[in-house]
Amino acid sequence: MDIVVCLKQIPNPDLQFQIAADGKDVKREGLTYRTNGSDEFALEEAVRLKEKHKGKVTAVTVGPARTVQMLREALAKGADEAMRVADDDPAAVDPMKVAGMLAAAVRKIPYDLVLTGVQSDDYQYSETGGVLAGKLGVPYASCVTKVEAAGKEVKVWRELEGGVNEVCTMPLPAAVTIQYGINVPRYAPLPAIMRAARAPIRELQPKDLGVAGWEAFSSGHTLAVRSLSPPQARGRAQMITGTPEEIAKAVARLLREKSFYRGA
Amino acid sequence: MGADVLIVAEHREGKLVSTAAEAVTRAREVAAKLGGKVAVVVLGSGVDALAQSLAGLGTEVLQVESPHLRDYTPDGYAQGLNAALGAISPRVILLGHTATGFDLGPRLAAELDAPVLQGCVDFDVDAGKVIAVRRILNEKVVAQLEVATERTVVLTFRPATWKPADPAAGGSVRRIDAAVDPAKIRRRFVAYETSQVEDIDIAQADIVVSAGRGIQKKENLKLVEDFAKLLGGVLGASRPLTDSDWLPKTRQVGQSGKTVRPKLYIACGISGAMQHVAGMKDSGFIIAINTDQTAPIFEVAHVGVVGDVLQVIPAVMKELKAGR
Repeated sequence: MDIVVCLKQIPNPDLQFQIAADGKDVKREGLTYRTNGSDEFALEEAVRLKEKHKGKVTAVTVGPARTVQMLREALAKGADEAMRVADDDPAAVDPMKVAGMLAAAVRKIPYDLVLTGVQSDDYQYSETGGVLAGKLGVPYASCVTKVEAAGKEVKVWRELEGGVNEVCTMPLPAAVTIQYGINVPRYAPLPAIMRAARAPIRELQPKDLGVAGWEAFSSGHTLAVRSLSPPQARGRAQMITGTPEEIAKAVARLLREKSFYRGA
Repeated sequence: MGADVLIVAEHREGKLVSTAAEAVTRAREVAAKLGGKVAVVVLGSGVDALAQSLAGLGTEVLQVESPHLRDYTPDGYAQGLNAALGAISPRVILLGHTATGFDLGPRLAAELDAPVLQGCVDFDVDAGKVIAVRRILNEKVVAQLEVATERTVVLTFRPATWKPADPAAGGSVRRIDAAVDPAKIRRRFVAYETSQVEDIDIAQADIVVSAGRGIQKKENLKLVEDFAKLLGGVLGASRPLTDSDWLPKTRQVGQSGKTVRPKLYIACGISGAMQHVAGMKDSGFIIAINTDQTAPIFEVAHVGVVGDVLQVIPAVMKELKAGR
């Protein structure tokens, strides 16, 4: 079973974000990046499926040169090959364009299954995997917490709201977006990290995908950032400040006043 | 180019999901700007009662019927939606950003060769462009995006973005019998499964104290649990903790877990991702403790403490036990 897993590198979500002067992106200087959370689970699931059914795992990303580090980590964690669609746009706000680039790259690889994370934690569109499936013309299922492959079919459990799962089956080839918690991602062993550091990473330019430029992948629409702004302070939270002792006294007083604590 | 706004209603096991009702008022405002109308489409097999219920919102309802639409499938719904497009010419198709809505959005987009933008918190039209408003980067930035296209645009919006519309007169139901080809339904529905785990029901508690990534280590769960017990409450958690099996899934507060409305909710080291907030924002009184002063949890909290839960909780417990 050959599997393509699509990964995205995102800014660390715990950072503070400042809006750039033109209001079209956040300031990128000083940002640190990591692999998107649910993509880590997708990679692990791909490697586990390969270990069970044999085959090859190819990790694919769209992004600037910094994403090579993420691809090397993927190789160290069990991917066999890695491919970068070398669009240097650091923001990549158009998920349909990204899905188009991914589709063009994936078509170059034999695959039975395409896995992505359910969403990227920076933009949270929850759509790149689905749009990619549409462009590839394969069936897909989103938000999956269990995958069972058997023969020419895959059975998946989709996580719905309120603790309910939808079980469904699809013929292969198919695409699946992986939900958090489906597995426990492994750590890369040191020898694998050493090997991955020297492994080749295939880089794709527009001409390799048969187009003159990346803009060819946003056909039928243009998506542009009109503005970015900080959220309007809803001003609900009354903030308690002070030394740790003062904070503790204030919170304890509040809990007593509201009768949430009535004493032991 | 269409001028209408079409809302896709979601239902599961005979019950409507509230997202369709939530979208009606905003859809009417935008449709008025476009000079078009609003319609709600409900797809299924024998969904007369659901269609009537939706018509009670005062809107035109397109009831798309086929035996092959009994259970939701992306391919079935895409065919059914296509059958409804004779009756309406949408500029925008709206779906709730639920596990079903964000599953269907990309499939519809593929069917209609339409742009799709998911997880919006508002939308509008301006100078021929569709505007989608979204929260990005851990809720810390509001992005206004504009889509320039002649095509229909598919949008999903977060549940509880708008208040459900009140019942109104003037609604109608138009039944459309769709020819859905079952051979074209590639993904087959098998069953719904509900996981059964024996545990307390945190939705029944008056006080819920929840732990998030900010507690750093599994061993620190005991501290939060002791705090909960001191207040006579129960221990809840955000998704990363139940994903890591630190606590059973039954303790997870959020869209994919439990929705709780206790008298007091204390969020300990939880940043406040949409998926968590959806499950606790209607609590009577919310206290949030987090080291990141820009964490979105402070937008829904009544009282906020910027600090490390591992220091704040022991200090508060000590104060409570000390009496005064």
